[in-house]
Amino acid sequence: MSRIVEVPATFDDRSFEQFATSFAAGPIGDRMLFDARPAQWASPFGLLGMLTAAQAIREAGGPTPGFTVPQADEVRRYWARTGFFQHAGELFEIHGKVPRLKPDDQSDVLLDVTPVRASEDVHGVVGKIQAGAARILHGELGLEAKATMGFAMALSEACQNIVEHAGTGGWVAVHAYSFRKRLGRRVVVIAVSDAGIGFRRSLEATQARRFGDRWGDAAALEAAVIQHTSRFRDPGRGQGMPGIKRYLTRWDGKLSIRSGTARIAIVPPWDDDAPLMEGLAAFPGAQLQIVIPGQEISG
Amino acid sequence: MTETIRLDLMLRETVHAAYTNLVTRPTGRAIRTSIRERLAGGQALALLDFSEIGLVDLSCADEVIAQLLLDPPTGTYFVLQGLGEEQLEAIEHVLAHHDLAALFQDPLTGAARPVGRVSSEQRVAFACLQAAGPATAPALAERIGWDETQAGTVLATLARLRLIRCDDGSYSLPLSA
Repeated sequence: MSRIVEVPATFDDRSFEQFATSFAAGPIGDRMLFDARPAQWASPFGLLGMLTAAQAIREAGGPTPGFTVPQADEVRRYWARTGFFQHAGELFEIHGKVPRLKPDDQSDVLLDVTPVRASEDVHGVVGKIQAGAARILHGELGLEAKATMGFAMALSEACQNIVEHAGTGGWVAVHAYSFRKRLGRRVVVIAVSDAGIGFRRSLEATQARRFGDRWGDAAALEAAVIQHTSRFRDPGRGQGMPGIKRYLTRWDGKLSIRSGTARIAIVPPWDDDAPLMEGLAAFPGAQLQIVIPGQEISG
Repeated sequence: MTETIRLDLMLRETVHAAYTNLVTRPTGRAIRTSIRERLAGGQALALLDFSEIGLVDLSCADEVIAQLLLDPPTGTYFVLQGLGEEQLEAIEHVLAHHDLAALFQDPLTGAARPVGRVSSEQRVAFACLQAAGPATAPALAERIGWDETQAGTVLATLARLRLIRCDDGSYSLPLSA
């Protein structure tokens, strides 16, 4: 008998907590079935969350989880275009028909689901994103042309966090879509996720004593995102996060990072997210999301 | 002696791949090592040419530029050229983080200017040497209207940052631009 892990019908960074709670409801060694049949839509954050969960099960030596594909044909097709099924097939036992689709260079999927294991992968990601990012950021979202370079820089630094800190591989994906409920504009979203050691373990040796009793997932995120500390003692380290934040400030973007049982967010005025959440369901590794909104059309 | 180092070519030779972006720390470390090897002969002026490079991220900029400036090869002065606005911004961010400065050759004027942590006094002294040529501390003090102590301190700092050179008490730009 498999334990059911519910995939939210609309799966984004907010409904991720529903997914994480379901995933954490029993031991990681349980036989699990990820039920995506009701799924209507998933952000890149949601797609990477499922792959990360499966990767964590594999790395913990658990049984290969099952995965039931979405019932809706258009959802299956979209997920196939994102490259999700290509990687899910290696981590899950897939139940249901999966469409075979080639990636579309002109689609809203700027970067299909891409594994990040080494610095060579970061070169590949950055090289692949640049033309598409210019088309979407400048052409569709109305941002100045120079926004593209900073976007690629933020993507590069975010991916390098996996290589430098996770202790295992991870994933990245970049999509553009309409963010009607929260913003009423189109956005570009970078999602990066890994099943690694997470911020707390990464920073423990250098930061835990400084925080004392407060030390935990939330304090580790605070140290990295707010105080820009790094586990490396080299004074040149820890520049990636302020660089990402500077880019987000300029383009009114949002950053959120979840690790372990906590989540921190740099929240722009257009959003009402909580800056810090603690006591969440435990989830492996770290998950980062960057949202860049389109320029507001005046009048 | 002047050595122009095309970073796009060095990138290809160093990592053996058709990359055009200076990203990641391992890539930066490899490029820095190659630059050091190229300059092992004791070049006086190294022009680092970014004109065919796409993205420069902060991690790679730190490994290449900041680490080279923190521990420069003996007798070598660096000038950055062919940098776009966003590339320069990334490098300035890294320079500021380390309290460093570098010489940047402006693509429009062809003239060099210091970027990074440079005070207004240092900019004035640099501009004066650029406009009127080499000077000792007393000569610069007279040109600008500073006292000699102030001029000496500012020039010594510029020389320590390797933005200008000092030969027997005479300060000058490391390139004629």
